[in-house]
Amino acid sequence: MVRSPRSQSANAEANRPNKRSFRLPWRDLFDVLALGTWSAMLFRYWFGGKLLLLLHPDYAWLSNTAAVLLAILAVHRLLGIIRSATRLPERNQQAEGHVTLLPRNISSLILLAVAVFGLIYTPRAFASQTATQRGIADTLTLTRAQPQRFASAADPEDRTVIDWIRLLNVYPEPDAYTDEPVAVEGFVFYPEGWPEDYVMVSRFVLTCCAADAYPVGLPLQLPAGSGKTQYPADSWLAVTGTMMTKTLDDRRQVAIAPTEIRQIEEPKNPYEY
Amino acid sequence: MVQLNTGFTLFLSLLVEAVPFLLIGVAFSSLLMFFVDDRQLVGLLPKNAFLGALIGSLIGLMFPVCECGNVPVARRMLIQGAPTAVSIGFLLAAPTINPVVFWATWVAFRGQPEVVFLRVLCTLLIATAIGWVFSCQENIGPFLHENVARSRFRDRAKERAVSEDQPALLQGGTFLQMAGGETLQLDTPAAQRLVANPIQSKTTASKLQLVVDNMVRELRELTAVLVLGSAIAATVQVAVPRDTVLSLGQGLTSSILAMMILAAVVSICSTVDSFFALSFASTFTTGSLLAFLIFGPMIDLKNIGLLLTVFKARAVLYLFGLASLMCFALALAINLYIG
Repeated sequence: MVRSPRSQSANAEANRPNKRSFRLPWRDLFDVLALGTWSAMLFRYWFGGKLLLLLHPDYAWLSNTAAVLLAILAVHRLLGIIRSATRLPERNQQAEGHVTLLPRNISSLILLAVAVFGLIYTPRAFASQTATQRGIADTLTLTRAQPQRFASAADPEDRTVIDWIRLLNVYPEPDAYTDEPVAVEGFVFYPEGWPEDYVMVSRFVLTCCAADAYPVGLPLQLPAGSGKTQYPADSWLAVTGTMMTKTLDDRRQVAIAPTEIRQIEEPKNPYEY
Repeated sequence: MVQLNTGFTLFLSLLVEAVPFLLIGVAFSSLLMFFVDDRQLVGLLPKNAFLGALIGSLIGLMFPVCECGNVPVARRMLIQGAPTAVSIGFLLAAPTINPVVFWATWVAFRGQPEVVFLRVLCTLLIATAIGWVFSCQENIGPFLHENVARSRFRDRAKERAVSEDQPALLQGGTFLQMAGGETLQLDTPAAQRLVANPIQSKTTASKLQLVVDNMVRELRELTAVLVLGSAIAATVQVAVPRDTVLSLGQGLTSSILAMMILAAVVSICSTVDSFFALSFASTFTTGSLLAFLIFGPMIDLKNIGLLLTVFKARAVLYLFGLASLMCFALALAINLYIG
C-alpha cells in the first residue's frame, strides 16, 4: 500500500507522543492560593486570639469551621490540579445560566489581596473616635439590643459597665443608686462639652460582630488636678468607688466618685456582651 | 489613622462573620443543583394561582439557594411547565425564605428579632402577590426570553397535538436525514436535554467533583462582591460624618430610598446581606433596613443580568416596578406604625 506523503505527515502528527505542555493552570492555582490564604487568615485570627476583636464569641466556631473547610477545599483543588496534569485537561464547563458581575481574574485578585491584607493587618479594638462616631449612650436606646437577660448582679460591685447601663435602663432614677459601691473597668472617653474633671468609663457592646458594636459608659469624676495627661483618652482604667448623682448634659445622671483609679492593660477581650 | 484602623477592623469583622455563611449557602446550593431533581417537583404543584404563588414562595425552604442559584432553577421550572405563579413566587422569595438566610439574619439581628420575622413575612407577601399578578397573564410566553419560550414543554405538548395530524414534511424544525429516507426531528429532544438539569445523569463521584468546582466558582464570585460591599459599608461608617448619615438614615422615606438604592447597587448575596445591613442598624430606621433586606435579594444589578436571560426586558421592568413599590410601601408602613 502506497501512502501519499500528505497522509504520512498527518499520521506522524497523530503518532507523535502526546507532548505534555508544561503550561501551568494559573487560574486554578490562583484559586488554590486565594482559598489557602483565606483559610490561613481565619486560622491566624483563631490562634492569635484576635478573633474576639471581630466577632461575638458565640459565633467564633463558625469562623473556625470556615477556616478548616476552606483549607480542605484548597487542598482538594490542589490535588485536583495535580491529578489533571497527568490526564488530558478537561474543559471546565460554565454552569448553566451563570452570569457573573465581575470578571474571574478581578474576583480572584480581590480575594487574594484582601486575604493577604488580613494576614498582615492586626485588628484593633474600637476606641474613643468610634465612640464619638457612633454616639455614646448611657442608656441603651430602643433601637439597640434589648437586654437578653435581666440578671443584675446582686452585689453592686460585681456589676460591669453594661450591667449598670441595663439596670439604669430599667430604673433610671440616679438617686436610687447613691452610695452603692462600684467596681468597673473600661477605657477613658472624653465626651464633648463635659467639665474638665469628668470622663466616661466606656465599653463597647457587641451582639454579633464589630459592625454592630456600640459604646456605653458611666461618668467618672476624676480627682482634682488630674486630667488628660494623667488619664489620656483610650487608656484603660479599673475604677472602684461609690455612685453619686451629677448633672451632666443638662440631665441628672449617676456618676462614679472614685476611691481608687488604677491604670490597666487593655483586656484581651475588650468588648462586653 | 485611628479612623483607618476602625475602618479596617470593621471591614474584616464583616468578612469574617459573613464568610462562614457564604460557605454554607454555596455548599447547599451546589449540592442541591447536582443532587436534587427539580423536575419531580413540578408535577406536585397546585394549579390554583394564589396557592401556587404561596407554595412557590415557600419552596425556598427546601431549596436553600441564594439569588444566583435561584434564577437558573426558576428558569428550569418555567421551561418544564411549572405554573407561572409558582415560578415567579420562587424567583422572588427563595433567596430570602430559606433556612440558611434565616439563620444568618437571626445571628445578625438577634437583638431586634422583629427584623428577622418581618423580613420573612414581607418577602412572602410581596412574592405571593407578584406571583399572583403574573398568573393573570394567561400565556406567560410573550414575557419570556425567546430561548426560554421556545423550549417550554407545555407549548410543545400543544404543538405536538396539532402536528400529529400533519405529515412530518409539513412540520418545522431541524431534521437529520437518516438511512432509508427517514427523518429524525432533532430540536425537541435536544432542547429538552439542554434545559433539563444536564448533570442529573452523571455518577456520584463526578457529581461531587462538580459540586466542589461549582462551590469554588460561586465562592470566588460571591466573596468578591461581599468584599466590595463590606468595603462600602466600612467606608460609609468611618468616612461619612455621623450627622450626614443620621439625617439621611432617620428620615422616614429618605432612609428607605437610600437603602433600596444601596441594595440594588451593592448586589450583596442574600446569605450575608444581613451583616451588611447590621452595620447600618444604629443609624438607619428599621423600615429602611427591612427594605434593604427584602428588596436586595429580589432585584439588584447582578440579578437583573440573570433575569434578562429568562424574561424579556418588559417583564423584568414589571417585576422591578412591582417589587420596588410594594417594598417601599411596606417599609414605610413599618416605619410609621411599628419602627
